[in-house]
Amino acid sequence: MTHTLHRRGTRESLSEDYVMLCLPAVGVNNEGHAPKLKKFLEIATKYDPVNIGTIKLGNMYSHSKEEVVKAAEAVVHAVFVNQGQVADVLKDLEKADLGMSVVVSGIFEKVDECLKKAGLKHHTANFSLGIWGKTERLPSNEILEVTTMCGHAMVAANLVREMVKEIKAGTKTPEDAAKVLAPQCACGIFNPARAAKLMAAMAAK
Amino acid sequence: MKIDPELCIACEACLPYCPMAAISMKGDVATIDVDECVECGVCFRAGVCPVDAFVEEVHEWPRSVRAAFSNPLTVHKETRVPGRGTEEAKTTDVTGRFKRGFVGITAEMGRPGVGVRFYDVEKVAQAMAKMGVEFAHDNPVTFLMVDKSTGKLKSEILNEKACSAMIESITTVENIPAVIKALREAAAQIETVFTLTISTKLEADGSALCEKPLKKLNVPLYLNGKVNVGLGRPLFKEES
Repeated sequence: MTHTLHRRGTRESLSEDYVMLCLPAVGVNNEGHAPKLKKFLEIATKYDPVNIGTIKLGNMYSHSKEEVVKAAEAVVHAVFVNQGQVADVLKDLEKADLGMSVVVSGIFEKVDECLKKAGLKHHTANFSLGIWGKTERLPSNEILEVTTMCGHAMVAANLVREMVKEIKAGTKTPEDAAKVLAPQCACGIFNPARAAKLMAAMAAK
Repeated sequence: MKIDPELCIACEACLPYCPMAAISMKGDVATIDVDECVECGVCFRAGVCPVDAFVEEVHEWPRSVRAAFSNPLTVHKETRVPGRGTEEAKTTDVTGRFKRGFVGITAEMGRPGVGVRFYDVEKVAQAMAKMGVEFAHDNPVTFLMVDKSTGKLKSEILNEKACSAMIESITTVENIPAVIKALREAAAQIETVFTLTISTKLEADGSALCEKPLKKLNVPLYLNGKVNVGLGRPLFKEES
């Protein structure tokens, strides 16, 4: 389960992409965990996330934010577009002392800066060593930058191509196209704001 | 998954939604290539079919392995974790899964978006096993092994296809060069891709013991990744 790892992109684009997740450890502290995950989402929603989700239900593009918060269980996620939001959420989480594990995905040095602001320290890291094997079977890098924002690969490359066509044709705005992609990623780790920018750039070519 | 040919109105709305591009038009009807379908359920959940022609089927073993690995809403019976793997680094602040001097090495077969047959999962698992890694005991691929010392999988699933499948292992920092060499060789023998992850507890200064050997092997670390921020309780205390 490395679903928020391996997000591709340039430094500039990834600077607007932070995923936070909160979960219990099965067999250690999972008893009575649901209200704690609900609290995590309540804190996260105070800081205007571009997505939230819980694996058992879906995300805020397939359900209302309130429904997602209410259904918090097992693993919950929130996506932000700047460091200030992440630092603020971390500060609140530190105070809330939920006892659940919290993971932040993003550019390492930028996540470190957020941790410093919140008075926290990194514990463990997952490093991506890239994509190996028959890489000629992959779609183009620009498509991958969008599709890899769903670690379970539920956002199809062909759907991204279709949305870019629609943006080019003027039948959809980049933001509306991103809202078609977002519900496919049930966990809610897809960043529609970043996807809209990436697809707008593709359509402009 | 199947599409009821009596209901399909050939609108083609569903075609781009399939992550495996397994839906195509056959005459006037959209059809799913059952051999390529990984039972991820995206086409069904997307709700784009105006006449509800998608029929979600429940499959018997061994085809049932497809949904178990491809549909993120499925919780594996054995691990009780939704998705394809374990909690790995995400809860290591309380589980102590990755101790100092050890790293997690995970090859996620088929990711991103290409898909994988289990015969390719077996090839890579066997290559890693030869280098003496220990497979994660609570990982769904490990449960499919008939021999954890060789990485051999159950023969009946080898031609089944999944969106992705994670081979999770733990080994020592000293063993990283051997495992990387084996993975480079295995990567040349498979018909799909895999993403490679190294998980490690960080030193007090934020560095990782695996950085030096990886640099020596010319394996670059990507600029972005995942950080467990140590808020889990009770915090695992490693004995010195």
